[in-house]
Amino acid sequence: MNNDDHALTALQDRLAEVRDSLGEAHPSIPASGIIARARRHRVRRRLIPAMTGALALAAGATLAVTMLLPASHPAGRQPGVQLTAWTVVRQPGGNVRVTIRELHDPAGLQRRLRGDGVPATVTFAGQQNPACRPWPGATLHGRSTPAGSTLFSNVFPPDPGAPSGVIVIRPSALPNGGGVQLEAGFRGHRPGALMEIGAGLVHASRQCTGS
Amino acid sequence: MEEDEREFAEFYAAAWGECLRIVMVSVADRPLAEDLVAEAFARAWGSWRKVRGLADPRAWVIRVAMNARVSWWRRHRREVTLGSQDGMAAGGQDLALDSSLVAALRRLPVRQREVIALRLLLDLDTATTAEMLGISGSTVTTHLHRAIGALRRDIPAFDDQELTQ
Repeated sequence: MNNDDHALTALQDRLAEVRDSLGEAHPSIPASGIIARARRHRVRRRLIPAMTGALALAAGATLAVTMLLPASHPAGRQPGVQLTAWTVVRQPGGNVRVTIRELHDPAGLQRRLRGDGVPATVTFAGQQNPACRPWPGATLHGRSTPAGSTLFSNVFPPDPGAPSGVIVIRPSALPNGGGVQLEAGFRGHRPGALMEIGAGLVHASRQCTGS
Repeated sequence: MEEDEREFAEFYAAAWGECLRIVMVSVADRPLAEDLVAEAFARAWGSWRKVRGLADPRAWVIRVAMNARVSWWRRHRREVTLGSQDGMAAGGQDLALDSSLVAALRRLPVRQREVIALRLLLDLDTATTAEMLGISGSTVTTHLHRAIGALRRDIPAFDDQELTQ
């Protein structure tokens, strides 16, 4: 055996020890949960390329139930089809649910959020607002502190059932002088690429969050 | 369809633990690894007719998990969680791993990590590893030797202890 063969054998042995040291485990999600997750992917794949009138109808049905009017931006690239790039819905209790489906008109979404009383900066596809200063410990990029973690969880309450492309904001949990930073983009270029929203807190200012 | 679901559920139950352990070797924390593996199994179900016919469907799941693009938001939340539990992590399960080896592995390029995962951790032969990664057998061997070279440079103790015995 040459040195590489020895090293390969040694490495394989040590990796096996590492792997086996992790012990037995059982999935916390049943197979049915995995299948349900896959179905949500499938639905999203159908919806993302072109938001159909059916979606607008579904959104309308939701509104009828909640009696709340969402702001939305029609992307409108296909005549005769109602496309909705993003939707903002104020939920009972004051939370704001943002759904981003297409990277279109971030300024409109930003205006809408600000109009709803959320000091916000919104960018799509990797752009940044250079005027924004991150809130210590609860930034979009970089690590967080324990205090920042708590703050982040309060401002962006988890919504476990929500697909990617959805985020909930609780404006009442924003600290004095704090604002919201949202950054959305698609990861990957293949059909079915996921819409992703990054979130963090920033210092509110006229140049960054509008107030 | 019910037959497919039953077959997938059996595969999931049988393969989940091993897939998780292998992904954990190259991913920093267990919740993240579990999420990546769950995502990979969901994608496996989405392509089950293709995946079930592969030489080793576990390899497909592991590869997808290692390359899964996680939502920035979810990842950020995870960073937050990690940041708040740094003290706990110091005594956590991760330390059960061979820390220098695992750290060195995590610094390898993705393709080399994939080869290590399939060829050494999942113990596939070179031909099957090549098939699963869509590369040639010689490329698998090349990646493997480069990985070993990098690990030797990164962990001198590995070279000293293992090769001079």
